[in-house]
Amino acid sequence: MLDDNLDPTISPQESDSFEERAATMGKATISDFGEIYSNYAAGCLDPAFCLLLETQAALRPDVARAVARAETISGVFLETEELATLSAGAADKAMAMIDAFEAGERPITAAVKMAGEGLDELLDLPEPLRETALHSFQKHKWQSLTQGIRRIKLDTGSEADVELYRIEPGCTVPKHSHSGSEFTLVVAGGFSDESGNFGPGDISLKGPEDTHQPTGDLDGVCFALAVRDGGLRFTGMMGLIQRLVGQ
Amino acid sequence: MVLLYRKGCNSADLSALYECEAAQGKHVSLETSGSNPSERERLADCVEQIAASRSRAAFSELFEYFAPRLKSYLIRLGSEMSHAEEIMQEVMLNVWRKAEQYDRRQASVSTWIFRIARNRRIDSLRRTNKPELDAEDPMLQPAEIEQPDITVNRGQIEEKVREVIETLPEEQLVLLKAAFYEGLSHSEIAKSYGIPLGTVKSRIRLAFSRLRGSLERDH
Repeated sequence: MLDDNLDPTISPQESDSFEERAATMGKATISDFGEIYSNYAAGCLDPAFCLLLETQAALRPDVARAVARAETISGVFLETEELATLSAGAADKAMAMIDAFEAGERPITAAVKMAGEGLDELLDLPEPLRETALHSFQKHKWQSLTQGIRRIKLDTGSEADVELYRIEPGCTVPKHSHSGSEFTLVVAGGFSDESGNFGPGDISLKGPEDTHQPTGDLDGVCFALAVRDGGLRFTGMMGLIQRLVGQ
Repeated sequence: MVLLYRKGCNSADLSALYECEAAQGKHVSLETSGSNPSERERLADCVEQIAASRSRAAFSELFEYFAPRLKSYLIRLGSEMSHAEEIMQEVMLNVWRKAEQYDRRQASVSTWIFRIARNRRIDSLRRTNKPELDAEDPMLQPAEIEQPDITVNRGQIEEKVREVIETLPEEQLVLLKAAFYEGLSHSEIAKSYGIPLGTVKSRIRLAFSRLRGSLERDH
């Protein structure tokens, strides 16, 4: 693994990475062997990125398929797992737990009843983003940035900052740069910035060198999920950005 | 720069585990210990019986099959012996509670229960680590133009993966297991198995391209 704390431009392993990438390019139209899927399937992916990936999978069949494939592999290996010896009475304990559960009150899924501006729109978001947004809404509310631009902080348990942006048609997010990397997934609507137009399911990736001013598309309100890390660096970022904007 | 989440699963521990397994002559094989289609159907019937009639007999059957496996899985991922059994019990209770949500057309019971166990395990963990993100991840690619009527048929994908995974050579299975089940990064796998990183990546890529049903074949 490349050390992400190293500046990618001076990392001695950088050239290996690019050679490897070059060697793998063009072999598959969509190569879903990336580590993010195995990390996700195995339960080792940071919660902010879990939310990003799950939301994108809800919007994009290709991503959903990659996730399904990865989780099937995990499930198959569970079947082949060795059989551990259980403690005496483990099965009885399981039955007792079931009985206790059946005897007790079934937990009623708390219906989220909240009135307020923007809430109806949150209800239309795909799961699991919807649930996360509704929970966070009770705590944080919308923060207004500028005309037509609002955001809400989402609690995911990650060290990364996670925010949901609401961008009204034609309105522009103030020009900004990032201390780390920013992944922005378009959930609904679309926006455009210097690097192109992004629609539902697309992820815009911006590095610390970049500044941008996304403007909401005119055909409807845009919702975007942004995951931002503080100081962590992304290896081979420039190559990625070039790919993303189709250069 | 994706953040990994991990606890008690460092590569030193796992190296010891592999050495131990190698010494005992254990190999990763799907032929002898994997479930067969009729067994999978039976397990799915059990979950449906729980959903339909709160069948305790069906639950016992599931428990007998999954409890020892789940406990091994949790220990493999770093849980202490007693804690592993506690989490396993919670997972099995969740199987009972969530049985109505199970859809046999979408996933095998193993995949479904694996997800429950994985998520339950995540709940108790708070530690980060970061691997490299692959430039060709579909996650970072613009959306393909898809016909709107194409929905993802998880059941079909699962069938395909199961069909192909049985044909993979052991050298690829071992790495898939390390990555998708044990949650090791490619570089951790390289270190644990003493295989060059590039070889790890190419073997996993090859295995995954076959699982996708790609026409790409071994050179």
